[in-house]
Amino acid sequence: MTDAQIFETVKQNVLKVLPDLRPGDVTTEGTLTDLGANSVDRADVVTMSMEDLGLTVPVSEFQEVHDIRSLVDLLARHA
Amino acid sequence: MRVVVTGMGIVCSIASTVPSFTRALRAGRCGIGPVPDPGDGGPRLAALVKGFRFRDAVAARHRLPEETRRSALRAASRSPRPLQMDLVAAMQAFEQAGLHEAKADPERMGLVVAGHNLSSGYAHDLHPKYEDNPAHLPARFALHFMDTDRVGTLSQVFGIRGEGYTVGGASASGNVGLINAARLVESGAVDVCLVVGAMTDLSPMEKRGLATLGAVAGVEEPHKARCRPFDEDHEGFVPGQGAGCVVLESARSAAARGVTTLAELCGYDLKLDANSLPDPREEGEAKVMVNAMANAGVGARDIDYVNAHATATPSGDLAELAALRRALGDSFGRPWVNSTKGLVGHCMCAAGVVEAIATVVQMRGGFVHPNLNLRHPINDDCRLAPGRLRDADIRYALSNSFGFGGFNTCIVLGRER
Repeated sequence: MTDAQIFETVKQNVLKVLPDLRPGDVTTEGTLTDLGANSVDRADVVTMSMEDLGLTVPVSEFQEVHDIRSLVDLLARHA
Repeated sequence: MRVVVTGMGIVCSIASTVPSFTRALRAGRCGIGPVPDPGDGGPRLAALVKGFRFRDAVAARHRLPEETRRSALRAASRSPRPLQMDLVAAMQAFEQAGLHEAKADPERMGLVVAGHNLSSGYAHDLHPKYEDNPAHLPARFALHFMDTDRVGTLSQVFGIRGEGYTVGGASASGNVGLINAARLVESGAVDVCLVVGAMTDLSPMEKRGLATLGAVAGVEEPHKARCRPFDEDHEGFVPGQGAGCVVLESARSAAARGVTTLAELCGYDLKLDANSLPDPREEGEAKVMVNAMANAGVGARDIDYVNAHATATPSGDLAELAALRRALGDSFGRPWVNSTKGLVGHCMCAAGVVEAIATVVQMRGGFVHPNLNLRHPINDDCRLAPGRLRDADIRYALSNSFGFGGFNTCIVLGRER
């Protein structure tokens, strides 16, 4: 599984959680908070992406996530 | 202090708005039909909401500000359907009460969600995901499984900042909610209160449990079964899906906002029966009817119509008519009596609110809706509505709701005095 595939999965879930966004709004440089996600929205993106990718990441490890790139990196380490 | 109704909204098996509910009641339309055999001995009949699309239902409330509609979509697009139905019913009521134009102080607005154990079906549906990998449970599950999610989400959409909570009383929850909201208004805690009869999403296990008690119709021979309130062949209730919302308000607030009053909540009573069982008891039911009339300052001879609890269980129907005879005395045969559950099924925690709306609709429309499937009445002295529409001049009405565990409630609704 490539980082690009993981990013695409995360991106699709961001668009599901925040349907007002356009696909181009979601980039690895941005943060979910800047895109308008609240704390539960962010957690939803995580659980949905884990399910889609068939991964299980311990909740504690998400504390290191600060933007979309670090989320993709964390998921990639467990892939 | 007088408490009036200024807005109503509904989503149920026979209607998606109050105007369509009015037409359906007049036509005696029945929302009950067969459902796939769950294979567990549970009910095989239900009154289901069909064709509900949240996005379309929100778009249909085009008189509300775009910001309210956007807020509804943002807050609830991924919520369980029952919450979405509650929200749509509340949007209808909010709109009819003109709360988007003649606004109320947010801190003087309350929100009472009537119901409990509302989301068991949702939890049931997620259980396979939990069994497969608990980490994949949606993050929102922690919010969505709570009944209070309905309070939180609706308060966010409507900007309600006064008192709010859920209240419960089994099948009487709707009336418990209306009575609590009336007290909030009367006490001066709020000027306006939304009361939501919350859609109760029963799990298959719960439905099976109700069948074990012999309370539901159509377990043995679903093709022959109907919901038959007050008929000698009554055999139990049929689960119904429904959400309703009523806006209660002080008469002073309604006048100050310049909005139309639809009806008055003239009186009520709620008493426990010191009884944990599902057994209905005549004495306790009669007592709340008598007390509600006294609270409203009306006598038995003033009552023109009774929206009965009448779930179509033999013991419940018999106890209620005996209680009605005891409460009304010589006037027993005077008011029309019908059961909305014959049309929409038993909407469980929402039933009291759905039936209050049915009562106001009939009062304002000058009719009583048919009692469906009534061929051999269990009582010849009671003026049970027939199987067809009848004109009726309704000045005062009772609406009863009784719940397992001895919750006896009665409200008195009146045309504006």
